[in-house]
Amino acid sequence: MRFGGLTCVDKVSTVVENHELVGMIGPNGAGKTTVFNMITGVYDPTEGDIVFNGESIVPYKPYEVSAKGISRTFQNIRLFKSLSVKDNVRVSFIKNIKSKYFSSILQLGKFSREEKEIDKRIDELLEMFDLLHEKDEYASSLPYGDQRKLEIVRALATSPKLLLLDEPAAGMNPTEKVDLMNLIKKIKELFDISILLIEHDMKVVMGVCERIFVLEYGKKIADGKPEEIRNDEKVIQAYLGDTHHI
Amino acid sequence: MQVKSKLLFLSSLILIFVINLFAGSIDPYFYTVIIYIGINIILATSLNLINGYTGQFSLGHAGFMAIGGYLSIALSTYFAPFFQNTFGTGVFGEAITFIIVLLAGGTAAALVGLLVGVPSLRLKGDYLAITTLGFAEIIRVVIQNMDVIGASQGFRGVYIYNNGVKAPQMVQDLGEMSNIFYAVPKFTNFFWTFLFVAIIIYYVHNLINSTYGRGFLSVKDDEIAAESMGINTTKFKVSAFVSGAFFAGIAGVLYGHFNLYLNPEDFNFLKSVEIVVMVILGGMGSMIGVIIAAVLLTILPEFLRSVSEYRMIIYALLLIIMMLTRPQGLFGFKIKRKKL
Ligand SMILES: Nc1ncnc2c1ncn2[C@@H]1O[C@H](COP(=O)(O)OP(=O)(O)O)[C@@H](O)[C@H]1O
Ligand SMILES: [Mg+2]
Repeated sequence: MRFGGLTCVDKVSTVVENHELVGMIGPNGAGKTTVFNMITGVYDPTEGDIVFNGESIVPYKPYEVSAKGISRTFQNIRLFKSLSVKDNVRVSFIKNIKSKYFSSILQLGKFSREEKEIDKRIDELLEMFDLLHEKDEYASSLPYGDQRKLEIVRALATSPKLLLLDEPAAGMNPTEKVDLMNLIKKIKELFDISILLIEHDMKVVMGVCERIFVLEYGKKIADGKPEEIRNDEKVIQAYLGDTHHI
Repeated sequence: MQVKSKLLFLSSLILIFVINLFAGSIDPYFYTVIIYIGINIILATSLNLINGYTGQFSLGHAGFMAIGGYLSIALSTYFAPFFQNTFGTGVFGEAITFIIVLLAGGTAAALVGLLVGVPSLRLKGDYLAITTLGFAEIIRVVIQNMDVIGASQGFRGVYIYNNGVKAPQMVQDLGEMSNIFYAVPKFTNFFWTFLFVAIIIYYVHNLINSTYGRGFLSVKDDEIAAESMGINTTKFKVSAFVSGAFFAGIAGVLYGHFNLYLNPEDFNFLKSVEIVVMVILGGMGSMIGVIIAAVLLTILPEFLRSVSEYRMIIYALLLIIMMLTRPQGLFGFKIKRKKL
């Protein structure tokens, strides 16, 4: 991926298997978020290919990528600020509902039943992340950590097969981080999905991820099981002198 | 909740019908103001769907109103003999004729809305404001030059001569030939106007409060996030824009068949601005607020007739005072935000 003359993600290749929880780590500016933006169609890669379920998803727009079963959260929280917590989640159900424009106005057919079903599922998801008591608040009035969790709930509500989490634990304290990682692991089992998550802090991902790959200056420098990454020369070098210890 | 809104809608229809029975005894001046209030509520509420709920800035609502208005009065005059022969001149015949021209005016405005909206709404940014502004001016200039609908003189009806010649003015060389003048028929009354007021309120309310309709607000808040959650933002923007244009067309039809005369100047830039002011003053995205603002801004100029040249200055001052004291609009909600 190039922006003007700047190559910011270069020949990164990896595979996320079904039902795998993979961590992507690397220093700030390594190109991790850019990888997410390429996968989800926010940026079109200038070269290379992205294949999901055997199909190239490069030509697709973000909403089409979402329809294929990939959802994401944003590092710089992008909740819908004039919507309540539950309506933030509600929006994710739109792509799968039967009651579109006119049947919603005329409240025809399955409309009422569908709305009730969605209300129920929103409550279930919010409950799981301990956000139910805040469901009628504006999303922007939630504490920071809860906003991050709401981003995950909103992404999950699109019923993805692959979930991309961009620094979901950013800004949380160490115990909150561990709790969240355990929750993410549980979510993976419960919803039977694959997860690719970005995390700045290596210690946090080591515990939960089945596989980790490391980006530095837009290049992949390592890819393997947590134990392998921990002992990898290049990774140690990249992180040496950094405040992050393995 | 849903049963309630249907009941409310039906009972308001009955109420409108009953009030209409007594409309004859209302003072004509007040009656006119009431009809204009209704038309402005339709205009402001439909623009609110585009500007308020979906966050797209359209500045050309008067253009769509002009399309609906002119097309419909051209139909109901040029084709008056046809309509009268087919449906008769009784209450029912007139109602059927009016429904036909209403739908024609609304649909024409919606189709033009589609043509204008698709290219500009696919782009990110404020292209819509510029395109719609230009579009409305083009419509006005085109009408000013179309002789069949009276050009810059305005249009109040059509002379149909025995030999089939039709023209909005007397034709000199056909002076001796007998003709019939078909004036724009006075179809619009309290019932029709407030029928559509009820319809647009029901329409926008149900849409916005449904799961599907929340998509419009998500587009306003954050397009990238909305797209990533599976929302086809272009489709939402276009559908809001096109249905807004449809109702602006309807408002034009109602206006034309009440005023019985249209002039291109009725649909100039200031008319578009006036509707935008109603939406901003009411608090973008607040239905009640926008309705109240539409009522106030219809009545206000009636009190200020003596200073009517300064109307735009007063609007501008109102907006400035608003922005300083209540940026969320008179009745809009304020989003509380915790410091991060
Ligand atoms: N739209 C863009 N235009 C130009 N440069 C960009 C753009 N997006 C990201 N970059 C650059 O790409 C590099 C990688 O950024 P990013 O993917 O956000 O890193 P990370 O998420 O690993 O911290 C940075 O140097 C950033 O400035
Ligand atoms: Mg990043």
